[in-house]
Amino acid sequence: MKRVTFISIAGSTLLTGCSGFVTSLNDNATVRKALEVPERLNTALLSHGHPLAREYAESAISPDFRQNGFDPPSSAEYGRWSATGWAGYRLVVSGLVDSPRSYDLAALRHKFPRRSQITRHDCVEGWSVIGKWTGVRLTDVLQDCIPKPQAGFVVFHCLDDDGTATRYYESLNMEQAAHPQALLAYELNDRPVPLKNGAPLRLKVPTQLGYKSAKYVNHIEVVARLGGHNGKGGYWEDRDYEWFAGI
Amino acid sequence: MRLTHWLSALALLILTMSGMQIFNAHAALYASDASDFAHPALAIGGGMDSRGDPKGFVQFGSRRISTTHVLGWGPNGYGEEGPRAFPAWATMPPQQDLANGRRWHIAFAWIFVLCGLTFAPWALRLWPSRADMRALPHALRTHLLPWKVAPSAQQNPLQKLTYFGLVFIVVPIAILSGLALAPAVDSWAHWLPAIFGGRQFARIWHFAAMITIIVFFVGHVVMVALTGLVNNMRSMITGWLVVPQSAAAGGVVRPSAADEPAAKVPALS
Repeated sequence: MKRVTFISIAGSTLLTGCSGFVTSLNDNATVRKALEVPERLNTALLSHGHPLAREYAESAISPDFRQNGFDPPSSAEYGRWSATGWAGYRLVVSGLVDSPRSYDLAALRHKFPRRSQITRHDCVEGWSVIGKWTGVRLTDVLQDCIPKPQAGFVVFHCLDDDGTATRYYESLNMEQAAHPQALLAYELNDRPVPLKNGAPLRLKVPTQLGYKSAKYVNHIEVVARLGGHNGKGGYWEDRDYEWFAGI
Repeated sequence: MRLTHWLSALALLILTMSGMQIFNAHAALYASDASDFAHPALAIGGGMDSRGDPKGFVQFGSRRISTTHVLGWGPNGYGEEGPRAFPAWATMPPQQDLANGRRWHIAFAWIFVLCGLTFAPWALRLWPSRADMRALPHALRTHLLPWKVAPSAQQNPLQKLTYFGLVFIVVPIAILSGLALAPAVDSWAHWLPAIFGGRQFARIWHFAAMITIIVFFVGHVVMVALTGLVNNMRSMITGWLVVPQSAAAGGVVRPSAADEPAAKVPALS
């Protein structure tokens, strides 16, 4: 056998063997549990208080706010809403609140103070874009519905799905939901939110990675704890991504 | 410290491999705060060309270097090739899996930092002294031919400067630029991404630090091998290094010194 052939066969066998070992390590339940320990450490260190994400000047806004996440919902209902200025759309707030309510876009625009922020959106994949988001503070809407004392988490149910009828969803705890920059945004760069970016209403949490900022939100559910039909607290969280998306 | 040396070596290996997994999710770097998608500073890509042949490339600015079968187009971890920045054998996990790549990376970042703290007493002695700088030209002359050097329990100025650069420049850049990628960290410290030229630029620093550490690693291993593999490994595992007696006594190390009776001295720890 030629030496080169031998080396390349030996090398690729070695590498394949390594890959097999690494894969079995990665799939090991104990290893997975161990890898969650630093996540809890990060959450404990970083997820408290209300540090403000940097806000930028208008000149820093990216020319195109790249789409993250799923394509716009394909349902006939969503199509009708988008064609008629969101006439039938409602945001429903339910669960552990004293007064469950629903709002159309006009109610959100007129009932609550209008807030704008130019912040950076960091996708978990690694890229960043800067955009100006305008809407209402999440905490203003929640206070309007008066959460009960046992409220622990706010779950955002969305209209978009992954193509297999599994809907997108996300969650924040009450402290994160009270962050002054946690916004329910109806405008991006002074225009109604484009379809690809989550029209008509999108959560925007600039202190965490992009997947936390759920698009196409139509139902906010206040719960005591996650689990049950709220899984690990998000579509991507159910697929091994961290619930605390600050890193 | 001998234990943490090996543990940090393992951590660096896992950090590199899981870092490549994370890079694969968006295989482009930008010299700015936000991404300028049309103008990456560096990108790795691949696909089928017009003739239906697979092509992989690394792109610096507008220049492309063909890297088919390794970078851009290569093993995907399922026994076949496909479009993929870093190949399956270099990433952790091997298959495309950003979520678990991130978990390995963030877990071993903690392990690496905690190990690094145990190096502090050794690291403080790396600060170059005037005597080191004076000895540097001589060291440069003699050490560019590394096989002329006998094992020594003392660090020579070149070695000291290299470790100094690694410990006080490269590793801090790697850690800080990594932290600058975290939006929650950035909201506590707006200055952190700013000192690197923005968040996307911090990705370049993080990537460059990785390359530098790989280069150090290769040099480190070559040096360990050239200056006596068995003896060095023994010192790294047991803490004892065999050196010629004249060197142990602090004398000048000559090539012929290797013939002299050997003495065991504690290795640097």
